[in-house]
Amino acid sequence: MTVFKRFAILSTVGTYLVIFIGGLVRVSGAGLGCPDWPRCFGRWIPPTNINQLPEGIDPSRFNFTLAWIEYMNRLGGALLGVLILITALIAIKNHRRHKKILIPSIAAAFLVALLGIQGGVVIWTELAPIVVTAHMLLALLLASVLIYTVQQAHYLEHPQAGSEMVFPKSIDRWVLLVWILSLIQVLLGTQMRQALELLAERFPLLSDTAWLAKVGMVNHLHMTLGLIIVIGTWHVGRRILKETTNLTPAIKQTVLSMQVAISVQIVIGFVFMLVGMPELARVFHLWVASIFIGLLLIVYTASRRKVSIV
Amino acid sequence: MFFVPVALFLGVIGYWVIGQAQKSVSELPVLGELPPFEFVASDGSSFGRADMIGHLNVVDFMFTRCQGPCPIMSANMADLYRKMEGNDLVQFISISVDPEFDSPSVLRKYGNELGVTDSRWLFLRGEQEAVKQLSEEGFMLAAGGLPAGHSTRFVLVDEKARIRGYYSGTDRASLDILITHLRQLAGADR
Repeated sequence: MTVFKRFAILSTVGTYLVIFIGGLVRVSGAGLGCPDWPRCFGRWIPPTNINQLPEGIDPSRFNFTLAWIEYMNRLGGALLGVLILITALIAIKNHRRHKKILIPSIAAAFLVALLGIQGGVVIWTELAPIVVTAHMLLALLLASVLIYTVQQAHYLEHPQAGSEMVFPKSIDRWVLLVWILSLIQVLLGTQMRQALELLAERFPLLSDTAWLAKVGMVNHLHMTLGLIIVIGTWHVGRRILKETTNLTPAIKQTVLSMQVAISVQIVIGFVFMLVGMPELARVFHLWVASIFIGLLLIVYTASRRKVSIV
Repeated sequence: MFFVPVALFLGVIGYWVIGQAQKSVSELPVLGELPPFEFVASDGSSFGRADMIGHLNVVDFMFTRCQGPCPIMSANMADLYRKMEGNDLVQFISISVDPEFDSPSVLRKYGNELGVTDSRWLFLRGEQEAVKQLSEEGFMLAAGGLPAGHSTRFVLVDEKARIRGYYSGTDRASLDILITHLRQLAGADR
């Protein structure tokens, strides 16, 4: 495996890890665990002890558990930033001629830096919903860009990989459609989150399921679209698995994983509706969605691959 | 697939982190840690920070010649003292800001008049400068112009000598909250 591909894979895995941590920050209510940025309570490492708080900070504002959870998100992001920077530098050094590797790698480096700064905006606006949504969408964009670079690195290393696969006609358009629908679904999900937050504020004593029932149109759209995506994924996936000639094990695994992922999503959705919204399930709901979108991208790129005659 | 153990591992970590976060939010915040100090109780024994360890403590600053809020504060503290009868965990500490007049015998008499019959409620006496310093730096309560300028707050100090709450010593509603918090801290130990 080339050095670049190794780092690109690490960067991708790292991105998904930080996305998971971000979800934890959200459900723990640790978004403002550190009320300032980029330092935490005026320090580069959060206080562990009330005596380490700087003068002028009200000690009752300080919850060191939430501060450290938020700090893990920042630390993870910073380390990821370094990792992606190294990946981009390797791309510049080893793959300057390979535009499909060079450009996304540099884009990823800029994206992760933007994410860091935009994280500061999340804090300054005190978790304004649209800014939080933007933070998540940027992270999904970063993950997608990195997945693309890993795939391109793979094709560079193995020029004939998947070259003999013949996908069902026009399946790429269907995959693209499911991908676009999934992005819309993620956006609807953020609107659900926003609506539930407002309801929780207005009706603090109601249960999760009661709040869900009050969400209204967004909830209906989200559920309906979710079902459409499940059906679409199963259908498209089945067609790829059955009708593709010379299907590679990698793509087969990817398609199967997609089907598993979307099924998990629907199950979690039903759990929310019938039982309640345990925090951990909310983290996984978002995380699995981000993985699902990544898997779709892999299949789409593979289905569009035109192998040049060597 | 190796993804499943990874997801499980993340799930376990996530579950733990969420649990810690929820616990931290429902617990009383730690507002400060008391520095060491050493005063003398009305029975002549010494009493300091070390004697607060292992107890839940309700602390106030007063003086026996006080015409203002102290009678109300002491009456309220006496009320709490009676409510907590039969319980060795909670102790009440009143610190005099007027050591010149409040000799040990004066403090003993004051306590008797309030109905103090055991060592669950102690009256402490120390050098005024030391008491002022403890009030301002230890308890973060202003203490200018003593004796009259003492704070009217009751301070809740836990079994590790950490400040967990401030309450108004003259307001019964505030003291009801103090009782709730005492219960919360007592329950947390069990």
